[in-house]
Amino acid sequence: MNGFARIAPRLHIWSAVFPPTLRDEALWVRSFDSWTYVTLAPVRTLLVVRSNEDAPAAWAAALDNDGVAFAAIFDLHRDRVYRHALRMTSNVHDAEDVTAATFLELWRRRSSVRVVDGSVLPWLLVTTTNLARNLVRGLRRYRALITTLPRCEGARSAEDVALDRIEEMRIATQVREALVTLSPSDAALITLSMFEHYSPGQAAAALGISDGAARTRLHRARTRMATALGAFSTAAGDDTTKEKSR
Amino acid sequence: MSTTEMDPVFTAALREVLVATVEDTQRVRRRWRWRLRAGVFVGLTLVGGGVALAAGVFSLPGAPIDTPLGNVVTAARTGTATIDLGPPPAGATDLSLTLTCLSVGTFDFPNGSSVNCSAADIGQPPVARQASEVVPLNPGVDSVTIKTSASATWTLQAQYVNRVTTHWRINASGQTYGVQNQNGTPDLMAVVVDQGKTQGYIETSELNCASGGDVKSPAQALAWDTQNRNISIPVYESDGTTVIGTFVLGDATGPNAQTVPLSSLSLGC
Repeated sequence: MNGFARIAPRLHIWSAVFPPTLRDEALWVRSFDSWTYVTLAPVRTLLVVRSNEDAPAAWAAALDNDGVAFAAIFDLHRDRVYRHALRMTSNVHDAEDVTAATFLELWRRRSSVRVVDGSVLPWLLVTTTNLARNLVRGLRRYRALITTLPRCEGARSAEDVALDRIEEMRIATQVREALVTLSPSDAALITLSMFEHYSPGQAAAALGISDGAARTRLHRARTRMATALGAFSTAAGDDTTKEKSR
Repeated sequence: MSTTEMDPVFTAALREVLVATVEDTQRVRRRWRWRLRAGVFVGLTLVGGGVALAAGVFSLPGAPIDTPLGNVVTAARTGTATIDLGPPPAGATDLSLTLTCLSVGTFDFPNGSSVNCSAADIGQPPVARQASEVVPLNPGVDSVTIKTSASATWTLQAQYVNRVTTHWRINASGQTYGVQNQNGTPDLMAVVVDQGKTQGYIETSELNCASGGDVKSPAQALAWDTQNRNISIPVYESDGTTVIGTFVLGDATGPNAQTVPLSSLSLGC
């Protein structure tokens, strides 16, 4: 080393003063010789999102452009959104597409999302309903992107699902067609209160209407749903009768 | 495969798309974010022209990402003490430690780094008296020891984490860029300069040269002598060619202090 090797500096580490959610993210090293510079620095500590109680913090971080926090929200709610999408579409591919579009919409419309009791789930479910009511129009914005997403080899087909859960699919079809007879906001009310068991107050908050208005419209929407479903049952019953008479 | 669960391949791909979508939006806003943070760095760059950084909120390439596992163990002690943390959960690779000093003293983390708390520090809010470290787990060890003087008082928050180190990126010239990590140093190292207003990269070779690491002869040693003088090196975009600022090394201050560019010195590197 020709006698000129640099003496390894003793290192001293400080931590930066950041808001609590960002703490630990900036470390830098200063040597005790004449140099101030570099080395190890910010480390990202992921938000742990295990339940709805963690959701408000995750949403706040996501709004601060934290992609991992947004993914945590996706992890927390995707199953419920997907199951609702499956209920609405009766087709696994369509349900996956609607789920994808729903979360992409969550980001695109993040500034206007209504958060109910700290959760974006009601908004997601309402959006799922709206997108599934008109797949072609609802998914148009994201169709090209969604098409590029890979799927499992030998992914399940709609026929597999139909054979697997034929009775559920028949009911789902009737429910979906009944929902289509309602206005978008009434369909959203039904989604939240009847399928997802939110209180009328929570559904009202998700839709930005008053509690009283929600209760009135919910009563009306339930009646219409019952009428529509009754018509389906009658039609189905007629078909069954015809089958038996043959 | 259950029909009530999404296709896992589709789910994983969608998740990546969502992260990328959010992070892409972040890039657009980054300049604003740097300005916001400028104040944080002002007090820390008194003697140098900038600080190098790594990842975190900026998601720089090569940054570690820690996922907390299990509960946070909090303990308060006086003097050197060992905190029992319980068995590490599955997947734990490291231990995240946050020490808050409650009295004047020097506190040593297990990895050799330390934090000094002065009398002035003690008057600050707790967050200003904290130092954090992430230390690798040793097999069979489920405790952590903080060394300090007998009368020094401190609290420690410890949590097992799973640490994953992201990859550096490679620019069009084939140079790796990002932040230092346990894999070493990329060709271009992330820094923030100009009191937090500019984020870019410095060439690691130029940093080594400017910091005297490549001195091989007495003549070069004289050329490198940094008494009353600082040395500046260029700060680039990630392309390694577009100069967007300068990074100053050295602690020369006062009326006689000079800052000279590395390119003006004959350091043989």
